[in-house]
Amino acid sequence: MLRLSAREKAVRLCLIGLALLWSGFPIYLVVASSFKPPREIFEVPPSLFFQPTFDNYRELFRVWPEFSHNLLNSLIVTIGATLLCITSSALAGYVYSRCRSSLLTGSAFFMLFVRMLPPIIITLPLFPVVNEFGLNDTYVILILLYATFFVSLSTWIMKAFIDDIPRELEEAAFIDGATVLQTLRKVVLPLAVHGIVAASIFVFVFSWNEFIFALIFTTRDAKTAPLVISEILGTVEGVDWGMLFAAATIQLVPITIFVIAVQKYVVAGLTAGGVKN
Amino acid sequence: MYKLRWYHLLMISPVQLLLIGFIFIPSIYVLWLSLHQSSYGTETIYVGLANYIFIFADPIFWRAFWNTFVVVNIVVYGELILGIGLALLIAGWCPGKRLVISILLMPYAVTEVSAVVMWRFMLEPDVGLINWLLDSVGAGQISWATSRWQALGVVSVLSIWLTLPFTFLILYSAVTTLPRDVVEAATVDGATRFQTFWNVTLPMIMPAVLVALLFRYIFAMRLFSEVWLLTEGGPARLTEVLAVYLYRHGFRYQEFGVAAATGWVMVALSLLIALYYLYQMYRRMFRDA
Repeated sequence: MLRLSAREKAVRLCLIGLALLWSGFPIYLVVASSFKPPREIFEVPPSLFFQPTFDNYRELFRVWPEFSHNLLNSLIVTIGATLLCITSSALAGYVYSRCRSSLLTGSAFFMLFVRMLPPIIITLPLFPVVNEFGLNDTYVILILLYATFFVSLSTWIMKAFIDDIPRELEEAAFIDGATVLQTLRKVVLPLAVHGIVAASIFVFVFSWNEFIFALIFTTRDAKTAPLVISEILGTVEGVDWGMLFAAATIQLVPITIFVIAVQKYVVAGLTAGGVKN
Repeated sequence: MYKLRWYHLLMISPVQLLLIGFIFIPSIYVLWLSLHQSSYGTETIYVGLANYIFIFADPIFWRAFWNTFVVVNIVVYGELILGIGLALLIAGWCPGKRLVISILLMPYAVTEVSAVVMWRFMLEPDVGLINWLLDSVGAGQISWATSRWQALGVVSVLSIWLTLPFTFLILYSAVTTLPRDVVEAATVDGATRFQTFWNVTLPMIMPAVLVALLFRYIFAMRLFSEVWLLTEGGPARLTEVLAVYLYRHGFRYQEFGVAAATGWVMVALSLLIALYYLYQMYRRMFRDA
């Protein structure tokens, strides 16, 4: 390791500090402001020390009582989409890892190609079809759409992780007469847990935060939290900002903690899903 | 390698059916739709290229096109430069590295909606922190609500803020896998920092740079929420981008044909950007097969 002078260390510390301020401060500001009394929210410079209060949260659930329902919707849709995406990707990832044929190669290429298309265009033809089947404003349509947009990446990640598992283990199971699904469930997937986690994060975070599909395909019952935050944003004036911050805080704190907790898998997933291939 | 059997095809079918049913067929249908005049309560009639002729003659479409072009390039290259700088900075001497990376990653977890909330709050006239700071040093205020370029500037900053973690992580993992002795050898041989970076580090992380560049181009083009939530494309449709133009014509004016034509322009642009990458993948895959 090259030695650094004190001056260089100071410069580096300043730059790192700036980077931290850039990514962390907007989040801190909203979270901290959600605990401020409404009249202190717009004080500049922002007060660093204040008497924390839950007034904004009380106000949020008074004016937007359905917000807890929207959070629940978000959770259901997110878990549903993650399960669908990971189950189908694990099955496909295994096949792409273990078999070779030009048909598979073609379909893998198709997976990549389709992923390049911008999601917003499919809303045009889907909108009437979704209405026809009575799927508008349901969990089902959001779950299907969110999973669809991440099966390519997830399959790729699963394939990369299954590639690293030696095949001798499966072969022993096959010789014992296990079917391919049994082998996958009992032998391969338990060894690919890191891959499952890595693949889950992306679809999970996306589904929890998604806005456009929720805007177009939900109207009342299946509305998700980001959509309702945007509605609150559309109505704010003056002191209402407090409830907006409260809503944003409730929506973002759990997912942020989650992302930090699984940080190393994010890196592993990106590497497996993009750079390596 | 195992021989492909019927049950293997069954195993890949859920993934393929989702992609075919929810992306591929709808996209083809959009192509068909773009050749028709279609709205609620009226008969759908074939109009040939009339929708494309309409949008190409529409100055608002071209404004949306150039707005998208400008924002996408600012975002992609801004992110790339910041991402490389950050990757090199954090890969070097950095106390509390894990914690630092955690904090840098945080915006990845934030929905576009809350990001708009944060930046709008900091950019409120007079009382927003950034405008207050700018004002107190005599630099004037950012009036994103009335100025086209200032609004697009805010949209660009917001998008960079949201996706820099992605670019940073890709580049960081490339930088950390560099063989250290090569970089050190260059330094010992008397190369300046910039020479080392330009001649040694950059060529070695180039594959990661290309991946980051390509994916960010394709994804940045989809830009919608940031603009929609900040300005709705206003004032007077000055700040629309392609996706907002599409949404407005499709879901506000119910001109599905026009929206569909816009959609296919977006598809064509995405594929144009992706062409190189797809070609490389195609070659590699069919060589392996």
